[in-house]
Amino acid sequence: MAEFSQAAIIGVSLGAQYALLALGFTLIFGILGVVNFAHGGFYMLGGYVAYSCVAYAGLPYPLAVLVAVIATGALGWIFELYLLERMVDDHLATLMLTLGLYLVMSTGLLTIFGPLSMEFAFPVKGAMHLGPIYVPRENLIVLAICLTTIAALWLVLYRTDLGRGLRALADDRAIAMAQGLRPKLLFPLAFAIATALAGLTGALVTPILSLSPGVGDPVLATSFLTVILGGLGSLEGAALAAFVVGVVEAFSSVYFGGSIGALVLFVLVLLLLVFRPTGLLGRTVRGA
Amino acid sequence: MRRNLLGWADLIALLVLAAGFFVPMLTHSVLVYSILNQVFTGVIAAESVWIMLRMNLLSFATPTFMAIGGYTVAIAGEYNVTDAFLMTAASFILPALVAIPLGALVLRLRGTYFVLVTFVLSQIMQLVLFETPSLTGGSNGIAGVPPVTLFGTEMGTNRQVLEFACGLAMLATLITGLLTRWFRQHFAAIEENEILAESLGLVVWRYKAMGFVVAAGISGLAGYSLVNMLLTAHPSSFDSGTAVDFIAYTIIGGRVSILGPVLGTGALVYATNLFGTHGQYAQGLYGVLILVVVLVARGGIVGTVAALWRRRTS
Repeated sequence: MAEFSQAAIIGVSLGAQYALLALGFTLIFGILGVVNFAHGGFYMLGGYVAYSCVAYAGLPYPLAVLVAVIATGALGWIFELYLLERMVDDHLATLMLTLGLYLVMSTGLLTIFGPLSMEFAFPVKGAMHLGPIYVPRENLIVLAICLTTIAALWLVLYRTDLGRGLRALADDRAIAMAQGLRPKLLFPLAFAIATALAGLTGALVTPILSLSPGVGDPVLATSFLTVILGGLGSLEGAALAAFVVGVVEAFSSVYFGGSIGALVLFVLVLLLLVFRPTGLLGRTVRGA
Repeated sequence: MRRNLLGWADLIALLVLAAGFFVPMLTHSVLVYSILNQVFTGVIAAESVWIMLRMNLLSFATPTFMAIGGYTVAIAGEYNVTDAFLMTAASFILPALVAIPLGALVLRLRGTYFVLVTFVLSQIMQLVLFETPSLTGGSNGIAGVPPVTLFGTEMGTNRQVLEFACGLAMLATLITGLLTRWFRQHFAAIEENEILAESLGLVVWRYKAMGFVVAAGISGLAGYSLVNMLLTAHPSSFDSGTAVDFIAYTIIGGRVSILGPVLGTGALVYATNLFGTHGQYAQGLYGVLILVVVLVARGGIVGTVAALWRRRTS
């Protein structure tokens, strides 16, 4: 029973991390219609910025995380404003632009930091014992920050004029623009929010897992899997699917080991597409 | 209406590749042979990407079908089945057969979903390779694949490996050229506006399925060429990241003509080798070139040269 509960807690913790990543990914697609192949790159960049702040500038970890969020958000803003914006309606071109950016980012980080993993440890150690269940404190802290961020994002999107504007652009760009909404302001902002979320996840999670130039690839694959499962462009679907993916991954690694769980998950997602191509909570979105 | 089987671009591509047969007369450099082998394998893989791009579909599934073709040859080699004709047919047909049910699944999807699902397919293939050690050797792969035999003669020297890779690349180019020439208008209609093409009576799924199945077969040939070059079938050779390289070859070379993947592969494989033992940094070069092509030179190398030529002659 303790094993089951521990797997469930790890699953929820993983799910919260995946939700942060997938929400950013699906936010960009829902609003801009862009598949962001650089999402894993922003995750990686967030990790490296936080690491550099701690290791070279001597900043405390929480401040380093904040710097990572600002840096990845700012880079996302600039990239959208000066490059993506020029061809935002061309799906293939924007996809290629983000792919190009990812290759440049990962090579840049490889050049600066080398191919080896960084020694970047989470500042809080130890574990909490809830009866027979053993939960690392770092996982609980990351879970709390992820859940708080998801709640904050939900409030911004569903309880503020900014969020209403972004959702209006996602629903029907032409009508939203006719109502006076300005995509030139809101598109870079949406992209910056999404990349900042990826940067935040990277800064929080890489000290627990690992930080090397290749960590963006599995993140991208997980983001893809999650948004396909949840329905491309659906925020609720992405959040739900992220927890499904996290829990399945945790249970399969505890009970089956190896990569059988991941394989089953990938195949299930493919089968889901046969019966429901728009995912769990998705709807038909432009370009998809 | 009379329809040519091949266009000028296809013939030029075939001639460029055929030049590979004459290289051993000029040099015996192992480095040159190695680079050319990489180019020929890359050209075949890039052509499979190009076929799908002719219908505005960006596919990340190339390594998936390469793995099927490559492992088919490696597993057959374990039973001493090495005949070139038999293995060429098998490495084309098996991936194509696998592509039929997969195509029925993924070709229901358009644009973005298609991209994502083909990416997921390449991840699934990696996991399958690792999880089936009794068949594929798991994380160790299959080493010591015997060289191909042609009319009973073993093609094991560097020169013979190069000539065989050159022959496979020409075969792939011929198939690609025939397919895209024969269905040129259909593919162009789908690329331009799929919904409009369908509303005008074009049975879109039929052409997309045909393209997907043939592209899978071509990828299988690339897998064969790769395994025959390395004499090893290993999961890392068919990593989903390699799909990015083949896409880069095609986009940077130019998607307007079959010369794009041929010249793009040649240029980028050569450039990658300039990095020497630091080949991992070549990805940055690919990234910069992709950004440049998308932002300022949409036609890639071939499209830009053609545009400059037209401007000069007009």
